[in-house]
Amino acid sequence: MANLKDIQRKIKSVSNTQKTTRAMKLVSTAKLRRAEELAKRSRLFAEKTNELITELSGRINCHKIGGIASRSFETIDEPEMVDIIFVTADKGLCGGFNLQTIKAVKKLMREHKEKKIKVRLRGIGKKGVEFFTYNEVELMDAVKDLSSAPDVARSAEFIQSSIRDFNDGVIDGLYIVYNGYKNVITQELHVNKILPVDVDDYDCDDKAQSSMVEIEAEDEEKVLDSLITKYVEYNMYYALIDSVAAEHSARMQAMDAATNNAKEMVKTLNVKYNKARQEAITTELIEIISGVESMK
Amino acid sequence: METLKLEILTPNGLIFDGQAQSVTLPGEEGEFGVLPHHASITTLLSAGVIDFETENGTTESIVVNWGVVQVDETKVVVLVDGAVAIRGENESDVAKALEDAKRLISDVSDSNVAIAAVSAKIESAAYRLV
Repeated sequence: MANLKDIQRKIKSVSNTQKTTRAMKLVSTAKLRRAEELAKRSRLFAEKTNELITELSGRINCHKIGGIASRSFETIDEPEMVDIIFVTADKGLCGGFNLQTIKAVKKLMREHKEKKIKVRLRGIGKKGVEFFTYNEVELMDAVKDLSSAPDVARSAEFIQSSIRDFNDGVIDGLYIVYNGYKNVITQELHVNKILPVDVDDYDCDDKAQSSMVEIEAEDEEKVLDSLITKYVEYNMYYALIDSVAAEHSARMQAMDAATNNAKEMVKTLNVKYNKARQEAITTELIEIISGVESMK
Repeated sequence: METLKLEILTPNGLIFDGQAQSVTLPGEEGEFGVLPHHASITTLLSAGVIDFETENGTTESIVVNWGVVQVDETKVVVLVDGAVAIRGENESDVAKALEDAKRLISDVSDSNVAIAAVSAKIESAAYRLV
């Protein structure tokens, strides 16, 4: 009889879990809608900023325009140290979302180690930070509450030290790794090389491109500097909001799967319960009948 | 009439995307106008008003607080931090836009002279509308 009670208890607990996961899915759906809207609106600006920077940098590189004292447009041949910034979620229960980012970061680190390039790791998001701390990988910087509530000012402040170090020559590269939003069911991992500006996609021979770089204002460095700063800051901020949208979509999916699994489990448990009940009844009947038989 | 492609973007989305006959921009070193076939130029914008004449000849004004503009022979791309378009169906809409625009400007600039100069421009843009 104890068996019956056990199964009953289990059914109850699983259906309670099901309720929780369903609620979490609904919450994520609502949050996703807001985050998605924000990410979509910002995407255009981010793309245009990157386009502008790539074009500028491409022209400067293609035409070998000298006299520009910003390191951001140079190709650095022998980098010694790079910064890797990763963005993960603050919370779990979102499937492989955080792990994918962590894996990409580890891969990037390994690649750099093979080339004997030192890596400084800076993390945003509790899950990633905890992972690397647990594995005793040194983090230069760890921010734990920025990824769930992206904020322009705070993300700018965070990235500032990397920009400064890059300009001072302390680091020779800057990567941002995050899991971005593609659509409701897919996330897309981004490993973005932010500094120096990536010009691999720029086609020097494209005749359609205008060949002129004319920068107005007396000190063109000021224009380029503020443009670069804006570009890096905005890339950081965009990574954060894109990551939030992706996190919610990943969680929505994970919770949907969990709800379905729980449903399935309740079903099998019910069958098991019914079988056990029938078995118990049969045993009881046999006991009664054999009792009567022996009385005869 | 020849036109150029004008795009004005903010982190919160697209403010304007279309053809324009001419654009006047508040450059860091003073206001400048752009017509089709303008030479390539990249420069910073300071707080001020972007005026442009659309394809059908109407003038629109957009107030910005900071920005970068890239001009080449066929297009003008303006990336700004914050922008308010001075437009509206009726007087109260325009008045509201005016209020927003002034707030945007006074947030970025400390100098009263600059604020006053920009405010005057905004007022006159709004006056044209009503």
